[in-house]
Amino acid sequence: MSSIPWPFPDPRNLVSAFRNRASARVQRWARKRQGRDPSTTRLGPGRVYILPTGVGFVFGIMTFAMLLGSMNYNNNLSFVLTFLLVAIGLVSMHQCQRNLVGLELTFAGAEPVYAGQAIRFRIAVTNHAKNARYGIRLHHDAITSEAMDLAAGESSVFTLAIPTDRRGWISLQRFGIRTLFPFELFRSWAWLHMDIAGLVYPRPADHAPEPPPTMVAHGHRQHDARGEEDFAGLRRYQTGDSPRHVAWKAYARSGQLLSKQFAGADTSSQWFDFEDLSELDIEQRLSVLTRWVVDTDRTLADYGLRIPGAEFGPAHGESHRRACLEALALYASGSN
Amino acid sequence: MAKARGTDGSLLSSLPWTLGALSLAFLPHLPYLPIWITAAFFGCTSWRYVIERRRRPLPSSWFRAALALGCFLGVLGTYSSISGVGPGSALLAVMASLKLLETRKRRDQFVLLFIAIFLVMSSLLREQFLWSLPYMLVAMTVIMTAWLRMSAGNSETPRQSFATGGRLLLYAAPLAIAMWVFFPRIATPFWAVPIDTSRATSGLSDTMSPGDITSLSMSSEVAFRVTFDSAIPPPRDRYWRGLVLTRFNGRTWTAREPSISGAAIRQISFAGEPISYEVTLEPTRQQWVFALDMPVNWSLPQTFMGPQQQLARSIPIDQRVVYNAVSYSNYAVETELQAPFINWYSSLPENTNPRTLELARTMRAAARDEAGYIDAVLAMFNQQDFYYTLEPPPLGSNPVDRFLFDTRRGFCEHYASAFSVLMRSAGIPTRIVLGYHGGEINPLGGHLIVRQSDAHAWTEVWLDGVGWRRVDPTAAVAPDRIDYGASDAAFEGLGAAWGLAAPSALLHQLSLTFDALSAKWNDWILGYGPDTQNRFMEWLGMQNPDWQKMLLTLVAVIAGLIIAISGLLMLRYRAPQKDEAARLYARFVKKTGLHPGIGETPQRFAERARQASTLPPPTIESITNAYLDARYGPTSGAAYARLRTAVATMA
Repeated sequence: MSSIPWPFPDPRNLVSAFRNRASARVQRWARKRQGRDPSTTRLGPGRVYILPTGVGFVFGIMTFAMLLGSMNYNNNLSFVLTFLLVAIGLVSMHQCQRNLVGLELTFAGAEPVYAGQAIRFRIAVTNHAKNARYGIRLHHDAITSEAMDLAAGESSVFTLAIPTDRRGWISLQRFGIRTLFPFELFRSWAWLHMDIAGLVYPRPADHAPEPPPTMVAHGHRQHDARGEEDFAGLRRYQTGDSPRHVAWKAYARSGQLLSKQFAGADTSSQWFDFEDLSELDIEQRLSVLTRWVVDTDRTLADYGLRIPGAEFGPAHGESHRRACLEALALYASGSN
Repeated sequence: MAKARGTDGSLLSSLPWTLGALSLAFLPHLPYLPIWITAAFFGCTSWRYVIERRRRPLPSSWFRAALALGCFLGVLGTYSSISGVGPGSALLAVMASLKLLETRKRRDQFVLLFIAIFLVMSSLLREQFLWSLPYMLVAMTVIMTAWLRMSAGNSETPRQSFATGGRLLLYAAPLAIAMWVFFPRIATPFWAVPIDTSRATSGLSDTMSPGDITSLSMSSEVAFRVTFDSAIPPPRDRYWRGLVLTRFNGRTWTAREPSISGAAIRQISFAGEPISYEVTLEPTRQQWVFALDMPVNWSLPQTFMGPQQQLARSIPIDQRVVYNAVSYSNYAVETELQAPFINWYSSLPENTNPRTLELARTMRAAARDEAGYIDAVLAMFNQQDFYYTLEPPPLGSNPVDRFLFDTRRGFCEHYASAFSVLMRSAGIPTRIVLGYHGGEINPLGGHLIVRQSDAHAWTEVWLDGVGWRRVDPTAAVAPDRIDYGASDAAFEGLGAAWGLAAPSALLHQLSLTFDALSAKWNDWILGYGPDTQNRFMEWLGMQNPDWQKMLLTLVAVIAGLIIAISGLLMLRYRAPQKDEAARLYARFVKKTGLHPGIGETPQRFAERARQASTLPPPTIESITNAYLDARYGPTSGAAYARLRTAVATMA
């Protein structure tokens, strides 16, 4: 049976294709109509759309059947029931739309992630009204945030976790805010087009080659960076030294900040050079470099990064790591 | 297909409400459903609750399928049908029970709530009482709360859901009322109405077998209520004509199927004042339409006068109906019967009630003419030891003989039957009319209540040259029954049944109050049909109301109300008003033409404004200081006053 090809497209696919096309069209129309939104946007009533949900359709059919039944039986109490349901439908439509109108959305940043992880765009939603809002949710395509209630005057941060697969800037061209409150008969929503972007670092390579050996600078005896870390002496504290290496006892005695020096970790430095990895393609090289940066950063050793167009001298610490990773993320992406 | 069956307690916040809504919707069906459905329903609800509470798995799909099949067959076996209100509500209850056992997801509860709504609706279709509307409103509030609980987030409390549900219902109420008032009502149903017939009514039966029933039901259930346009006629004229029995088989009187006769109404001649009135007839599931003897005009559609001057509607009265009628108490039915009809109306089965036949011959021979014979028979009932009782002894075969010569105890049916047989034995055409007699005036509502206990049977005899003439033999035996009616007896019986002798008057008073309320309720709410609606529209000022005008009005009113509700919601969701200091400071900020940055303090902003704006620095300083004092300083009016003047005088 399965060998006979079915010449017609699956109607389910047709329907979903039609829906996707229609929704894309509507989204383009809304984008054109609304323009680009500032990073703090208040939802006006003109941009909150509303349509019945599946449950709403069933509810509509049910009320219509009840109306026919009431007319047939000429039963005034079931007329009351039917009209009460119709009225509840109408009221819930307005309530649903009002649940969104007047909310203020502010982009609250996104922490950089490695490609393959989901980047979590954070958007603060503020309810300026003196009435609570219920069941608010952000969404982007099929991705939705958690539903949250906002008390009067309350502001909550919603996160949209968007999966990433490439390094570089990822921008959230469009996202929506929606609610089904109160009876899930209607879905009202608004689209927002803010300048929202997050940085995606290259994916750290899973099987990276060993990093190049550490070179000790300034005439010290060369030794392997992965050798034993013996206490070698104290030196004056420099900005960027780990607080774990500060000689606190000495500080208490003398009031002078001194850092402990360990053989093998002190002035050693590693250079991670893009050109050293010539046997790999560009993305693989960036991936390996990222792995080295991430791993070396954990050991608190100094490292330098050299890629075409950028060079970072040996250092360590959060800002150094970020600078290196950002350079790797944006390598040859045009925006650097 | 193995579906996950485990429960995780996630429904605990909404399930109790859903179960409550279902039970509330189920409650009015309780008296009508077989006991096993009630047991299944409450069994399933409590079982489901325990499952969720203890996080047990749901029953397997095999078990559920078997249960579903069993329940369906059970309904089919109990009702031998699946359409109509009775089996329909039974099926709904069963469906709810079964659906409960597979409800695992939050959204499955939608189905349960839809079923609850349908259950409420079918209970309204079955019966409407004074408490039906409050019941419906309570049920709807619970259903709406359950609905909100189902879609609520974790932070929402049941109290909040209840408040939201109640508030939305309150918004919906005026809309619903407007729709109810203006939605055009139609007179005729689209399709035949299947009505639950499982409940026996105490209406009139189509046949009469005196002697078979040994005790007359004294049901105080209301048969119909009547509002007279003018004075209520005296009790002796209140004969409510129903159906007419013409055939006797020696034991049972029967009626023929109602048929239309154009001649029937033309045979009536009348004189005197017309009596016009409005009857609110409770459903009888029969075709007979009751009117004061003798009706000449009636407003109920599809209702015709049969050859025996009886009124019948072509479709049974399954719903409460309201109609106007005009009758004359001073009338004559001047039918001219030809010989075959005379024989037909005086025919009796052979070899039955021989002693009665003998008695009739003797008495007829003694009487001068037919009228004299009638008087003689009535005199016999009156003067000999005949008794009126509601609990006569059984009569067995030849019931008329046994009644006339042995027991001599009976109620209207016995006397009507015996009288008719005596008449027919003498060759006088006779027919028996079944209907109601009397009725009680409710002083609160000003209307007449006719109860099932007022059911009555009387006779009509045909005399040459006169036509049909009413003769009530019961009046000869128990004149009180005719002059006062039977209603008082019913209430004394009720009081006695409760062991209350003296409070029966109070009870009666309460009952009359309730009846007056019910009558108004029936007239204005339950009986709001095409006629009432037209009258109401005319009262509102609509000329020549028709459905188009009503629909237009409906749309306009709804639009207006929706605008009002939308405005109300807008008010609810507006931002709270800023305090005075903030408003004054905002005016100052606007004047500078600068925008304060996020987190910028007033002092920093003042510094920036000094450099960038055209306002003189002292003004900026004084406003900033006054604002900070008003905002953060000790509570006093002075800072506000300074701020006010500073802002007012800024150039």
